[in-house]
Amino acid sequence: MIAKPIVLGLGLAALALGSPTLAAPAPLPAPYKGVYQPQGVDEIGMWREDDESERRLAASPLVLRDEKLTSYVKGVLCEAVGNDRCNAARVYILREPSFNATMSPNGTMRVYTGLLLRVRSEAELAAVLGHEFGHFEHRHGVNGFKSARGATDVLAWAQVLASMSSSYDVRRSYQNLELSVYGSFFRYKRDQEREADLTGLGYLNASQLQPQAASAVWKNLMGEAEASARVRGLKKPNFNAIAFTASHPPDGERATYLSELALPEGASRGDGADRYRAALKPWLPQFLEEQIKLNDFGGSDYLIERLAEDGWTPELWFARGELFRTRGNQRDLANAADFYTKAIEANSNLAPAYRGLGLSLLKLGRTADGQKALRTYLQLSPAASDAGMIKLMVPGGTAQ
Amino acid sequence: MKFVLRLIALVFACASLLGTQAASAQEKSATKEGFELPAQSGKKILVFRPAISVGAQSTGGLFEPNAEWTEQAKTNIRASLDKLQLQLGNAVVTAPEAYGDDARAVEEHMALFAAVSQAVIEYQFFVGNRLPTKKRDNKNDVFEWSLGPGVASLPGASQADYGLFLYNKDQYGSTGRKVLQLVAAMGGVGVKSGEHIGYAGLVDLKTGDLLWLNADGAMGGDVREPEGSEKRVRQLLEDFPGSTIKDDQR
Repeated sequence: MIAKPIVLGLGLAALALGSPTLAAPAPLPAPYKGVYQPQGVDEIGMWREDDESERRLAASPLVLRDEKLTSYVKGVLCEAVGNDRCNAARVYILREPSFNATMSPNGTMRVYTGLLLRVRSEAELAAVLGHEFGHFEHRHGVNGFKSARGATDVLAWAQVLASMSSSYDVRRSYQNLELSVYGSFFRYKRDQEREADLTGLGYLNASQLQPQAASAVWKNLMGEAEASARVRGLKKPNFNAIAFTASHPPDGERATYLSELALPEGASRGDGADRYRAALKPWLPQFLEEQIKLNDFGGSDYLIERLAEDGWTPELWFARGELFRTRGNQRDLANAADFYTKAIEANSNLAPAYRGLGLSLLKLGRTADGQKALRTYLQLSPAASDAGMIKLMVPGGTAQ
Repeated sequence: MKFVLRLIALVFACASLLGTQAASAQEKSATKEGFELPAQSGKKILVFRPAISVGAQSTGGLFEPNAEWTEQAKTNIRASLDKLQLQLGNAVVTAPEAYGDDARAVEEHMALFAAVSQAVIEYQFFVGNRLPTKKRDNKNDVFEWSLGPGVASLPGASQADYGLFLYNKDQYGSTGRKVLQLVAAMGGVGVKSGEHIGYAGLVDLKTGDLLWLNADGAMGGDVREPEGSEKRVRQLLEDFPGSTIKDDQR
């Protein structure tokens, strides 16, 4: 606890100076001390609850059951934190399209599919997983619980004493106290996040992967948030403001200090982007489908276009078509038809692209072309779950 | 995300301090119409992994899980359950450990039972809040809830007649909470110390129908002690079909 402010101070001092040459890279992790077991009533109690929760998780339909992908993600974690440490973690991939990963006190790591869709390389994934592992290594779960307990204990007393008093002054000072207790609770949460960021970057500096990727993760997230806000007609988000109840430091701050803490020599290392792309390929269409259902046009389009920086694939054209068709204005349908056509040009067997094309053309009034595309869809996948419905839109009802 | 849950817990903990008690016009148990289980009929009851959690309540009202108390409670409750069911003439069988798809099916049904029993408590036991189809004047004052026939394929189901689900959560007020309660009471402010919730439900393993449910937000008996656990299980089973437990106590 004493060491923390000093280490943090180093990183933040580097921030304040604002010059990459003066910044000290995040320290390398201390040697691994071996598996730790919970100590004290609180920690043992939390582990037990956590063990029960992991037991339910292991049998949950939310878990993506693909041994290959799961062991790949576990492998990236091991590459970041080292083989001795990574044995403490059990990785579960959850089908949930938002950007998140967690690691709980007993070593259960939950990785959301939305995170896998957003990061672009092994180094970026390792940056996030290393951060989560930092929470685990610093026992942030149990410490956070103790801080919440301390805060609510004070508030409970203050509330009881204030409600027993009839004086306005006492009630007002209770309100002030309440704000300051909440304020320091949330500040504590943000300091935990900064500590985990620092630890995560320490792992990355010591690994074979490029530590500069950590900062890239946050830059990309900000890009997505901006794109999302633009399409919704909202103001450009402020990435450096801290809300009173924010649990994490602002993205802008994180992107800056993470870039300053990265070991400069590390920039020449590989980031494993090719390996990452190959591992994710079989799952990309499904992750994109789930992302599109979030109804976040700007964010989804940003993600698709960023994935397409490595070249447009039929799957990406198809996803973009689905995105535009889902929003469904007439102008969107014209674009969607165009994207589906590009997908079909690249892969003439992509059945769902014919369905999308057909449905878009029907709405655009190009009935004959639409029906032709739908017939091809039925030909290519006669057993599709929506085949019956599609047949109703095609005269003759069958593909002949 | 864990943080959001914690924040919610925090807000609730503070809000519950001065909150009012739940309305009292609430029923606590019900049996499916026409279901009878005469004593000494020698039925086999399959017990699924009971959800038991015991801990303390901090001064501010947070749940502080305690692993040792939980383990004691598990052992004690199981022993009392065996003993009382034996008195009724039923045999208690533990559901076998499940793997793969079986484990997922069990987990799904445990979650389903939790959801159904919550619905029963909310929409049937709380009389003023009954769903239209569960109202007396609708001639539907019947206890008709089901988990569906899928239960028949759960591991161990073919060897037993009924399935028993148990949920138990105990929070014992910490010293700090009790002192707070005392001081608050002197000032005329109500602070609750501790929470003791128990549910037990019996399910027909062939049809999945819920045969009996007992749910109580204020249970007695200290589950950390063998005698206390027996009191708790007696309370849980007091309206169990064919049970004479209630009469024993008089």
